[in-house]
Amino acid sequence: MTNPYIPMKAEIVSIKTETRDIKTFRLKPLGGKLKFEAGQFVEVSVFGVGEAPISISSDPDVDDYFELSVRRVGSVTGALFKLSEGAIIGVRGPYGRGWPLKESEGMDVLIVGGGCGAAPLRPAILKLLRSRDRYGRIELLYGARTPSDVMYMEEFEAIAEGSGCRVLLTVDTIAPDNRWRYSVGVVTSLFDKISVNPFRSVALVCGPEIMMMYAVRDLLRLGFKPENIYLSMERRMRCGLGFCGHCQIGRKYVCLDGPVFSYSEIAPMPDKIV
Amino acid sequence: MSVVGSMNTFIADLHDLDRLVEVARSRYSVYAPVRRGRGYVFSKIEGMSDTDLRYNRTILPPTKIFHRPKEVLLRFQLADGPEFGEVVEVEPMMIFGVHACDLNAILRLDRFFTRRFEDPYYLARRRGSVVVALNCNGPRDEYCFCASLGTGPTVYGGYDILLTEVRDRMFLVEAGSEIGANLIDEARFRRASMSDMEAKKAVASTAKREFRRYADFRSLSYPVIEVLAHTVWDEEADKCFSCGNCSLVCPTCYCYEIYDTLDMDLNSGFRVRRLDSCQLYGYAEVALGGNFRKSRKARLRHWMVCKFGGAAGGELSSCVGCGRCIFYCPARIDITSVASRLREAV
Ligand SMILES: Cc1cc2nc3c(=O)[nH]c(=O)nc-3n(C[C@H](O)[C@H](O)[C@H](O)COP(=O)(O)OP(=O)(O)OC[C@H]3O[C@@H](n4cnc5c(N)ncnc54)[C@H](O)[C@@H]3O)c2cc1C
Ligand code: SF4
Ligand code: SF4
Repeated sequence: MTNPYIPMKAEIVSIKTETRDIKTFRLKPLGGKLKFEAGQFVEVSVFGVGEAPISISSDPDVDDYFELSVRRVGSVTGALFKLSEGAIIGVRGPYGRGWPLKESEGMDVLIVGGGCGAAPLRPAILKLLRSRDRYGRIELLYGARTPSDVMYMEEFEAIAEGSGCRVLLTVDTIAPDNRWRYSVGVVTSLFDKISVNPFRSVALVCGPEIMMMYAVRDLLRLGFKPENIYLSMERRMRCGLGFCGHCQIGRKYVCLDGPVFSYSEIAPMPDKIV
Repeated sequence: MSVVGSMNTFIADLHDLDRLVEVARSRYSVYAPVRRGRGYVFSKIEGMSDTDLRYNRTILPPTKIFHRPKEVLLRFQLADGPEFGEVVEVEPMMIFGVHACDLNAILRLDRFFTRRFEDPYYLARRRGSVVVALNCNGPRDEYCFCASLGTGPTVYGGYDILLTEVRDRMFLVEAGSEIGANLIDEARFRRASMSDMEAKKAVASTAKREFRRYADFRSLSYPVIEVLAHTVWDEEADKCFSCGNCSLVCPTCYCYEIYDTLDMDLNSGFRVRRLDSCQLYGYAEVALGGNFRKSRKARLRHWMVCKFGGAAGGELSSCVGCGRCIFYCPARIDITSVASRLREAV
């Protein structure tokens, strides 16, 4: 019996600062590869501090490295921020059910991200663009608090340059001296501008739960079907294996049944905002 | 029902059972209910005089012998590393005198810990041990309600050895596994007579009729709106202390927290797991001050719906009617009366 609690070692090969509190760590798995699907996550170990679930944010078709985009909020993420290139951490996984990319072929795709929620969406975007001809229109809406909180800025601008995907960016507020070429307002204010057809479109949504609540409300109003709205849910989570119990939402385990759920699956469950 | 058949049905008094314990002790640590203060605990015994087979219930259930309240998962070292490896503490055990409710809880956790992934810690201890189950001749006290849930008072499978008290301190002994049969063989019991076997049937049929406490948890589940919105949760939450006793003593509560501890040398340490409870505030806490079960009502409701079998653990974390949570609740919150309030609404 292999022990699922034992992590695999991974070396930090590079670190990119995304925003004042988000960094992207590129990791090389030592002794094995990490095969994953867009939207899955790993449990990251900093020994002596603990473990935290973090989404894999890189391209699922690249397997000599993978990336984690981490927001500094507590002990494990804080400890990760203190590490530099060459440091060895532990990872186990990948875990969970990712985005329904195969099932969405032939449809339009609307991607809605808020803040750090861009991390689990990035592999989906990269994967969708790689098999661009299998989908209808693709649009990406992303919102952050201020211009300096926008993740993956150059990458989003590069995607916008290409022809495959429309990109709409927004921030909640800008300082008077700030240069910002895009919209101002919450991410749902971009819904006026979308061109996907709500009746034959899936929506992939990730962000703070309060943002997802407003997004779902507006998407339903626009005519999206509840079963076509997909949300990546976050809960306290310890094991990632369906044992420790913390990530339950009603009858669902985020780690096994999610983290990606259709709105119709999750809507009737208690103890959530969305 | 014994899988080995009536040829392998025996009769034993306490002296005979002493021989069984003696034989078992050469291979296993034998744990049985031992009086501790006003309660009982599963504790190591040397012979039948250490245990009381008429015990009502142990404070902690035998599932928590296999799924320990606290244990080390991994050992690690930071210098030139990190380096890490598993720590699995296994002691071959005989758990002696397990009631039907508790045996059913063990069988549920067996399935729970082998779903998508396998938990090597639970399984190593469980697979290396033998269970001697003990049929109940009726409710052990007014808190028992296994009969209405179908989890007792009589055991049907899942044991290595099964005991039924057919006459005053005379036990019918049946083997349920090869290991159990061999142990019985070595203990050299007398074969049971036809009348002993008939006596067992009589015990089983009268036992289930003596229960006063009753529960029906069917369809008390997420996301049934009548269950979620019922006012009983407000009333009970007003009384609840959020102490977590109920889940600590529950045989099918398994939730745990994982954390690292570092030694004084700041180099070596352990990754530890410790039982947690959804009744405690910190259980559903997330980063930046978020908590999806901030209110006591949401926590109490989640715990009970889980015990009804209506949360993510489904049947595998559901109640087996042992009565512990009712007995040990300082607020006298009673899962059976909450359920009957809810039943009126569904
Ligand atoms: C499926 C999934 C994917 C995720 N993906 C990402 C991602 O890609 N990027 C990202 O940045 N984050 C992600 N997260 C969130 C991340 O896992 C959490 O922010 C995590 O808490 C960070 O761990 P930490 O040790 O740094 O924080 P912690 O030290 O756990 O602190 C976070 C907060 O949790 C509470 N807390 C923690 N431990 C305890 C305790 N023992 N007792 C009481 N309260 C406690 C405190 O309120 C604290 O403020 C994801 C979460 C999930 C479930
Ligand atoms: S034992 Fe009683 S008071 Fe304590 S958490 Fe459980 S229900 Fe609440
Ligand atoms: S919920 Fe209460 S009565 Fe039911 S198994 Fe758990 S502790 Fe026993």
